[in-house]
Amino acid sequence: MSFEFPEGKIDFAGQSLVELISKVTLSGSAVVAFCVGFALQDLRMTFAIMAFATVVVALVTIPPWPLFNRHPVKWLSKDSMKAKTN
Amino acid sequence: MHNIFSRVNNVSAFLSSCMMTLLAAIALSSFLFTATPHGDLTISSIKVVASNARRYPNKKQDVAFMNFNITADLTPLFHWNTKQLFVYLQAEYTNKQGVKNEVVIWDRIVRRKGDAFVKFAGKNKYMFRDISSSFKGVPPANYTLKYNLMPYVGVLQYGEAARTTEELPFPPSQRL
Repeated sequence: MSFEFPEGKIDFAGQSLVELISKVTLSGSAVVAFCVGFALQDLRMTFAIMAFATVVVALVTIPPWPLFNRHPVKWLSKDSMKAKTN
Repeated sequence: MHNIFSRVNNVSAFLSSCMMTLLAAIALSSFLFTATPHGDLTISSIKVVASNARRYPNKKQDVAFMNFNITADLTPLFHWNTKQLFVYLQAEYTNKQGVKNEVVIWDRIVRRKGDAFVKFAGKNKYMFRDISSSFKGVPPANYTLKYNLMPYVGVLQYGEAARTTEELPFPPSQRL
């Protein structure tokens, strides 16, 4: 009874969406965290905002949600190749 | 990004880059705060006692004691990147050989803005002795109240809050 770690595959459209979400959210929250912390003169607020953003990004991007699998790759059937070589 | 490991790898790597940029920005923001607070320092009495070295009871050594009064409002130094202030009272003099001596005789660590109004009247915390074991030929010394701003991220910042207006001589040594 061995435990197989789930692969969590998502399709290519999903991968580019995940990359966009993670990059925009993390860099945007770093900017927001700096500005809010500087305005309030509170460094803990800055790190709290970054921690919150990290948790949100992790929950959205890491599990293989169905919305990232809406455009699966359409593989050709094996019969189409046989027809060409013949 | 095709499996979970790959996504974790990508997201954590980008997060590290964002955090490093954020920390660099916080460190640079310290330079925007240019407060230079000033305070008051008066030395009320200086006494030099002829005694023995602590470790070698047969070796003679002069020890200086002083009473002083310090007030300084250091609250302007506390901004978001201030972790703590190291405030210290220093005696400065140049001895006959031309060597500059700086001796810390009292210090305090201030961790909160509420504690930043430094007010102290008392005697030196640390033993003040000269490296030549005697204060006989030592010229008059200047006393300065300095601070060291320690940030959460960034460079240390030093400053001087108060200085005695004239140099104070060391009296001849006496026996207790």
